[in-house]
Amino acid sequence: MVNSVKLFFRESWLLVACAFLFGLLLAVTDAAWAPKIAQNKIDKTNAMLQSIFTDGHEFEKLPEKIDILSGKVKTGESTVYKVTTDGRIVGWAFTAEGFGFADKIQLIVGVDAAFKKMRGFAVVSSYETPGFGDRIKGDFYRNQFVGAPAANLNLVKGGDPSAIDSDIVAITGATVSSTAVVNIINRYMDTVKQAMVSKGVISSGQ
Amino acid sequence: MANENSNTKLLSVATAGFWKQNPVLRLVLGMCPTLAVTTAGFDALTMGLCVVFVLVCSNTVTSIIRRQLKPHVRIMMFVLTIAAFVTIADLFLQAFVPRMSEKLGPYVPLIIVNCIIIARAEACASKNGIVVSIVDALSMGFGFTVTICLLASIRELLAAGTVFGLRLMPDSYVPMTAMSMPVGAFVALGLLLATANLISAKEA
Amino acid sequence: METFSILLIGFLSVVVVNNLVLTKFLGICPYLGVSGRLDMAFGMGMAVTFVITLSGVMTWTIDHYILMKYGMGVLRNISFILVIAGAVQLVEMYIRKFFPALYDAFGIFLPLITTNCAVLGLCLFLYIWQVKSLADAAVRSVGAGVGFTLAICIMAGIRENLEMADVPKCLRGAPITLITAGIMTLAFMAFAGMIK
Repeated sequence: MVNSVKLFFRESWLLVACAFLFGLLLAVTDAAWAPKIAQNKIDKTNAMLQSIFTDGHEFEKLPEKIDILSGKVKTGESTVYKVTTDGRIVGWAFTAEGFGFADKIQLIVGVDAAFKKMRGFAVVSSYETPGFGDRIKGDFYRNQFVGAPAANLNLVKGGDPSAIDSDIVAITGATVSSTAVVNIINRYMDTVKQAMVSKGVISSGQ
Repeated sequence: MANENSNTKLLSVATAGFWKQNPVLRLVLGMCPTLAVTTAGFDALTMGLCVVFVLVCSNTVTSIIRRQLKPHVRIMMFVLTIAAFVTIADLFLQAFVPRMSEKLGPYVPLIIVNCIIIARAEACASKNGIVVSIVDALSMGFGFTVTICLLASIRELLAAGTVFGLRLMPDSYVPMTAMSMPVGAFVALGLLLATANLISAKEA
Repeated sequence: METFSILLIGFLSVVVVNNLVLTKFLGICPYLGVSGRLDMAFGMGMAVTFVITLSGVMTWTIDHYILMKYGMGVLRNISFILVIAGAVQLVEMYIRKFFPALYDAFGIFLPLITTNCAVLGLCLFLYIWQVKSLADAAVRSVGAGVGFTLAICIMAGIRENLEMADVPKCLRGAPITLITAGIMTLAFMAFAGMIK
């Protein structure tokens, strides 16, 4: 027993010593840079929220996440942000995600303070085809959501993109991606709105 | 005399990575990042510089401990060293170049299993002194960087009309979107390899 | 039923929609190296599936119950690759004991599965995709292996026929394989958008 332990150490002392040293090196590096990395994430979210809410100054993340259910099974969760200027609530934003053409699409959706009209949305991450599905990040598609009602959006293939209503004109050649964004927003909007009403944060009045 | 010999040897090691033993075009190693991050010039440049950093550090460490390496644990040692330095490079990117880190995604940690680095640790650093190891690392690393930047420039030019952000194609150019998708990656790399084969066949 | 459909979607998404070789560019080195003959390709595919499933499950468990719980995310890369190296050793010992002929046929390729980007890649993707349950992780790992096997066997079939074609000298070997792989990705794009 002692012999085999000695043999183990003789064969692998270098490995164990290096593992220890590298572990130390990584711990030091992590401690030095982790705050910067965390700040980068916050900055990114804030920049996206700012692009949706041009009149917002403070962005506060609500601590409780909202569960999104399909039937009884939890399929996702949403983080909600409160957007305020000088203490006055300017609007709300929540994260949403779902499958697009290629892979997952992650969005941040902005609505006004009463959850009645949309302020717009920003794409956090997507893997859509450049020049086609990727144009969900562009103005033609995104501007149609500004001022649209915060419920039951429809995707239509042709029509007037400048009309502010619940019909969203799809991007030519990117029907799947366009449909995906509309479906994701519809799926999350109702649940988040219900959750906010039930928490008493917003009124359920029409 | 001995000085001259070692200098010429050093020079040949320094230039090997760029053509004779170009890791991508001649040794056909490190294909995964070559295909994945060459959609744009700057992505490729960042990946290449990360690989240079990891290669230099891992070759240096391997060369320092080379006399202590026991046969059973040498692969684990290489892998451990490489993993540590790749993690440091990844943390650096996340902290100081976050948008690039997002674009490169999981391909930075995948440098750990990039065949080039383990191959150089095994073939060169575990058998040579520190100076030769570092020169080899720089040569292979920059040879890799130049190659993937070349591939990235071609793909970016055809897919977006720009090279490293500089608009080169006229405004009327219709972008070849296929170049930014997997099919473009595979075909462009295949043709690049074929060109390299043609050139080296003519040299021989 | 809901859980089953989530698992099925996860499986399909990794096998065809996001095939690791053809859309995520993982596992290219063995893909180029071992796809010459169908029987070797299938054997490699099976070995990789076994290793990926084992590693995927073990690394997900370590990630969830140790690394994320105690905030040791920085050790993720090192612990993942060490687990993978260990899993490959295990598979090697198992095959050497019970299938010695197969072990000889594989030669150097078996230990090389450690450096297969697909294995480490999948373990990292399980973290990126925020996979929340062990069953989901297991199903996706098996799916990744099946997807790799599918891609490499199709390639082997094509290459066996290419042997008889008149390929120009500069294109022989890796270049023509890469171009063929590119055309295969076009075929697999048919699966995109399948998952709503």
